Amino acid sequence: MSYKQFEAIEKHAALLGILTAVMVSLGGLAEITPLFMEAHAVKAPANVKPYDALRLAGRDIYVREGCYLCHSQMIRALAAETQRYGHYSVAEESVYDRPFQWGSKRTGPDLARVGGKYSDRWHEMHLIDPRQVVPQSNMPGYPWLTQAKIDGADIQARMRGLRKLGDPYTDADIASAPDAVKDKTEMQALIAYLQGLGIKNEPAGGLGGSTGPANDGGEP
Amino acid sequence: MSLFWSLWIMFLIVLNLGITLFLFVWAPRAKIPVQEDGTTGHVWAHGVLREGLQNLPRWWIFMSATMFVIGFIYLALFPGFGRVKGLLGWTSHGELSANVAANNAKLNEMMKRFSLYPIEQLAHDPAAQQLGRRLFLDNCAACHGREAKGNQRLGAPDLTDNDWLYGGDGKAIFTSIHDGRAGVMPPWASLGEENVKNLAQFVLSLSGSPHNEQQAAAAKPLFATCAACHGPEGKGNQALGAPNLTDKIWLHGGTVEDIETTIRGGRQGQMPAWSPRLTDDQIRVLASYVYSLSHPDHVD
Repeated sequence: MSYKQFEAIEKHAALLGILTAVMVSLGGLAEITPLFMEAHAVKAPANVKPYDALRLAGRDIYVREGCYLCHSQMIRALAAETQRYGHYSVAEESVYDRPFQWGSKRTGPDLARVGGKYSDRWHEMHLIDPRQVVPQSNMPGYPWLTQAKIDGADIQARMRGLRKLGDPYTDADIASAPDAVKDKTEMQALIAYLQGLGIKNEPAGGLGGSTGPANDGGEP
Repeated sequence: MSLFWSLWIMFLIVLNLGITLFLFVWAPRAKIPVQEDGTTGHVWAHGVLREGLQNLPRWWIFMSATMFVIGFIYLALFPGFGRVKGLLGWTSHGELSANVAANNAKLNEMMKRFSLYPIEQLAHDPAAQQLGRRLFLDNCAACHGREAKGNQRLGAPDLTDNDWLYGGDGKAIFTSIHDGRAGVMPPWASLGEENVKNLAQFVLSLSGSPHNEQQAAAAKPLFATCAACHGPEGKGNQALGAPNLTDKIWLHGGTVEDIETTIRGGRQGQMPAWSPRLTDDQIRVLASYVYSLSHPDHVD
């Protein structure tokens, strides 16, 4: 390469832009592509099951209402976080989440392991009007969730769709879905989802051991 | 990580560092054709801008070279070069484990001291109370409130009034937190609306609250059913978690409407079990904090 050729790069903005993009993308190609391409290697451990019909409906309501805008579901591997919320989140816990709800925006607390922390009644009052139970809360209320009912056929369609993507729903699971969500409100579905979060998903071994979870998504 | 992607990362790192090294080696030796006017001859904006000859500042060269070297040191010590684990054997899990162990070592020393005292006596200990308050705010305040005054709409009891559904000694409080509690009042709408209304007046009479004498007297025989849990005098039963009805302390509200609603539809109280989330040591400290709330003499 001779010095003269730098003149071409300096003088042509498009060429300069392309070459800059190539250099900058080297980092992304090294850091992002391998994790992306190896995502299929993250398998659900035996204790992580696909969502049952009611919780699946609740999860979609969680996404629809934009809960993720203020609540993450990702406990980071930091002592202060694991002491407050429990074991840090690992990729294999979220294989049935499409899209996963990890996130990094926390206006409210992390919800990755909120299941069982509060009673169903608490969740209902809190979702209708958070100030009823937490006077300092700035979370909006979601009173309309008590009005709408879950549509069984709709949930069946979603389960069939997820099965096409590889979630192991059986014919019996799908056939029994309308009964499972019969007469349930969106509120009940969302609470069922929240009460299941992080329950029995925790990687075994706890934090004392020297080895990490079997598969945390390739990150060392 | 598979071998292919490991090699992919290694290739990109080598490529990147190689380009950097090339610039370091080649640039100082590059022959720059100098024009007569003392510039490189690179011209912009119709001759207004011309590229002169300036060496890169030394501090800039020094900084870039340092970062280049640090890059090698980093890749040698830490994971980053494909599957190579690095000489330090560092992992994020390992760092977390070490931090948690260091925390626990400090905490265990304190907990060891706490374990020497009964829960009631821990309520004297400022360190235990400080820790207890933190645990309370993080875990209990959502239902019982930051000041532990409870929430009648939720049926979360006031913890400051020394009136106990399941017992108020340290052991009972520990059990309530550790295992949770499920309070069930069955619905009595089947008695008929008139009886429900009369019973509400009778319940009010038990605590000497304003009530309708006639209605209360009419419901007195019906209370035999209620006495199975609340006791013949309505003083409650801590073995069942049945509230004392004679003390003007109301779990689900003490207005006529509240009491009628309670009788008609029943009530379900649910205190979650905290044993999956908190250690027994933490629950002891928390129990001592809850104990101190209704025994203010114990707090300095």
